[in-house]
Amino acid sequence: MINSLKITLSLLLPLWFLISFQTKSMAVKNINHKIVLKHPGEDIPVEVTLVEVQDSDGLPIAYFTDVESVICLEQVCKIVSVRIYWNNIGVYQKYELENGATLEKYEDDLFDPEDYKKLHTILANIDSPYKEVYLDEILTVVDEHTEDIDAVSGATALELDEKDTVPGAALTCFTLWHWVNGDIVSIIKNKTGESVSNKQLQQFLVDENETYFYIAIAELQKRKNYSKEFIDTIIKRGLKDDFLLRTAFNYLKGASVENYLYAAETLFFKGSREQKLTTTRSLINTDYKVSKGYLNNFSTQFSKLDYQEVSLLLELMQDKNPNSKVVIENVLPLLSGDFIIARRAYWFLNNETLTTKQEREIKCFYKKHKDKL
Amino acid sequence: MKRREFFKKGTTAAVAAGVIPLVTASCVGAKDMVYDRKQDKWFDLGTGKTGSNSRKKTVAYDVAVIGGGAAGICAAVAAARNGSKTVLIQDRPVLGGNASSEMRVHLNGVNNIKGKAERETGIIEEILLHNRFENEQESFPVWDHVLYDFVVREPNLTLMLNTQAIEAVMDGDKIKSALCWQATTEILFTINAPVYIDCSGDGLLAATSGAEYRTGREGKAEFNEKFAPDEPDGWQMGATLLMSSKDMGKPMKYSPPSYAIKYTHEGGHKRRKFAGFHEGIWWIEVGSDDDIIADFEENRHKLMGYLHGVWDYIKNSGKFPEAENLALDWVGSLPGRRESRRFIGDYIVSEKDMTEHKHFDDAVAFGGWSLDEHNPGGIENISEPPSYFHYHFEEVYQFPFRSLYSKNVSNLMFAGRNVSQTHIALSSSRIMGTCALMGQAVGTAAAICNKKNVLPREVGQKYIKNLQEQMLRDDAFIPKRPANDPNDLARKASLIFGSTTSSGDAKKLINGFSRDIDGKNNHWQSDGLSADLQLEWESSISLSYVELKCDTNLQRNIMMRKDSRNDELYFNGIPNELLKSLSLEARVNGKWIKLGVIEENRTRLIKFKFDTIKTTAVRIKMTETYGAENVKLFEVRCYA
Repeated sequence: MINSLKITLSLLLPLWFLISFQTKSMAVKNINHKIVLKHPGEDIPVEVTLVEVQDSDGLPIAYFTDVESVICLEQVCKIVSVRIYWNNIGVYQKYELENGATLEKYEDDLFDPEDYKKLHTILANIDSPYKEVYLDEILTVVDEHTEDIDAVSGATALELDEKDTVPGAALTCFTLWHWVNGDIVSIIKNKTGESVSNKQLQQFLVDENETYFYIAIAELQKRKNYSKEFIDTIIKRGLKDDFLLRTAFNYLKGASVENYLYAAETLFFKGSREQKLTTTRSLINTDYKVSKGYLNNFSTQFSKLDYQEVSLLLELMQDKNPNSKVVIENVLPLLSGDFIIARRAYWFLNNETLTTKQEREIKCFYKKHKDKL
Repeated sequence: MKRREFFKKGTTAAVAAGVIPLVTASCVGAKDMVYDRKQDKWFDLGTGKTGSNSRKKTVAYDVAVIGGGAAGICAAVAAARNGSKTVLIQDRPVLGGNASSEMRVHLNGVNNIKGKAERETGIIEEILLHNRFENEQESFPVWDHVLYDFVVREPNLTLMLNTQAIEAVMDGDKIKSALCWQATTEILFTINAPVYIDCSGDGLLAATSGAEYRTGREGKAEFNEKFAPDEPDGWQMGATLLMSSKDMGKPMKYSPPSYAIKYTHEGGHKRRKFAGFHEGIWWIEVGSDDDIIADFEENRHKLMGYLHGVWDYIKNSGKFPEAENLALDWVGSLPGRRESRRFIGDYIVSEKDMTEHKHFDDAVAFGGWSLDEHNPGGIENISEPPSYFHYHFEEVYQFPFRSLYSKNVSNLMFAGRNVSQTHIALSSSRIMGTCALMGQAVGTAAAICNKKNVLPREVGQKYIKNLQEQMLRDDAFIPKRPANDPNDLARKASLIFGSTTSSGDAKKLINGFSRDIDGKNNHWQSDGLSADLQLEWESSISLSYVELKCDTNLQRNIMMRKDSRNDELYFNGIPNELLKSLSLEARVNGKWIKLGVIEENRTRLIKFKFDTIKTTAVRIKMTETYGAENVKLFEVRCYA
């Protein structure tokens, strides 16, 4: 297989991704997966062989598969086999043709060298217009002058910017774009997750490319692996990258109650605003029983929080830790601070069981601000 | 006595009345019918014995809108919603004007600015979204009914179809009445209103009022227009007759009718193309260099001849093998008009106002279709390209209010292709989406005229800010003109925040810009659903309205077209960004109380109206979109 890869036609692609599996010494194993894919141009799902290339450590480093260049409805087009390559997170890398094979355009025209480059660019664009084009639109004759669209009717043919298509080869672009960017991408991610070791998953969790993080989280959930080691890594990443917090908590809520609460506490106390808000929301929604003592500890932070954080934390206390003396004591000082926060604290305290002295304090607040409550 | 009752009662009544000779009860024929001549109005109507129905009626409204196309509908709905009792007078049996099923012209707007749409919002957006829900199949006859529904459901609006405003009755420089002929009932209506809006395209009412207008092309010098001819002339862009065909699955023959005009395409310009011919060809067009309205019937006949001539060429020249199985499925009989009268206002918009993006303090609308001037001669001059796309805009241009009212008839406004502009400016602004924005502007202005008891010019001079602010509140967009409504309590909030944020900032929801534009984002987007947006005021406020503007992806078209495109630029379904389910709560005495729930929202502008409450905070809980993972908002407003 490796030899056959080396003799495949090198197309005039602008970027030759020197991915590691092309080095004989690195790639040690190819694994064939029979998979079934849906393609918007095919009436029924199609079975293809997806080849996973692993290095000597068993780490998937690439995938490839062979597909037909064009979906041909009237049996008049020339079909050649195209080999498509992805990296281990399903990002398209390149395509290759069988030795000597060429791609064809409408009316027997052959692809120019520039067309091969452009096809590569189109396939690499995950937001290509081909994403939402229907086959019957492709089959309509394409008007090459796209600007002459009158207010009255306009051309009905598919009109794509020239940068987005190879003129005369829209069907080939459509066929290959959907093979490259269709369901196979998530299949590759799953396969990678399944193939890697726990040690490799640890690496995925810290990789700068967040796709590895998502793959690792999905795989850890499948493996039901909530070890402290993984949780610590996820906490570390969550403290660094706010945007991963939602995914992180989606995983953490499956951990044991001890580990979940440990993670929540760490993220809240060590994190900044987003970590505090996400953690508090998670604690409001968790089904785990959370002790008073644990929640009381959170209330020590009130004076350091902004309105939204205070409000959400008070919602948590009201819901899961009502009438806590510690919390009440920590909330009372808020009455003399920023008014909007003070008012929120007042409405919280108003529903709590207070001592006579505390009652006096909030009555005093009411008297002073009754017009603004 | 009703006729059926007569037969039911048989002869008994007749005998009792003693009117006819006794006949056998078993065979009563037509000759034997007896009438109560004093009461049988249906019988006596023809003879006039019981008097005939009056064929003249006088009715009064606060605003009379003439013309039921995109501009007229938006004008009428805007006036009605802003408190004026309004009548919409349409001379055809259906609404929609050029985009009705009678003509089937695409309803386009600012479809493409550097590869992305910059969709019109406001009433036209609401109509197009309504169409996405009710007419997913994009049928033009169904579109007629979508528009009908949109208009007749407005409580303050009366629709008169098959009715043409034929003459203005003047009182000094004001239109006192519009005489309107309703063809189906043979009634001549005298419609009295303090304000008239002519959105009829040709502008017959406005013309008979003596409102100044011009036709034809200005010369280069008059407005320093680069794309105008050297000297002025009378040429007006033509009307087009469309058709559509159907694949019958087998070869279909076609023979042209007697009136077909032979077409050969010999010497035809290379840009005169046939792409998409099965859904009509826009360059089957005939204009005029003289009185295009007087020429209309002659031109219609010609257009029917050209339509069949071109179809004959497609079917029988041998050059279109792909047409073998096609047969004409619908042929238009009413050409879609592009140009005739352009009424003169206090300002005439010209080419450079558009290409140089002139800022108008009285801007009320915008456009951005290319300067798309069709060739002189139309199909009778095929050696020229069918249109000159002189200029493609890279950003939208403004349209001023002073071009939307008459300079010499004081209570007359216009919207659509007949407004105050040059021929070259018209080549862009004639697009229906742009006309619709003008419509919303003049409808809103008419309501201000009534509220303040002023004329349109005074709205421009004294109340232009009121007009702009009301339009912006009603979801219109005016380029470079952020909303700054002093009555909007959201702007006075001490805090505004979203429960989560994946892009933008909740504070941007009160910055006055209700779309992302000019390279700046003006939105707040949640991180997942459900999501809350909360506003807090330091002091208690009285609140009766909360209004939101949500995302509908204005960069992708949802226009009404025949081609049902579904790609990066056009979408043929409900925008998945649209907010579907939400509720509103206010905090009263420390408790959150529910003020409203919307389960199946269909609009970009979402309004909650409730009994006035005193509160210090509101919370909008958003639970579902039509598919998007996050919810995105562009504006929140609160009013007492």
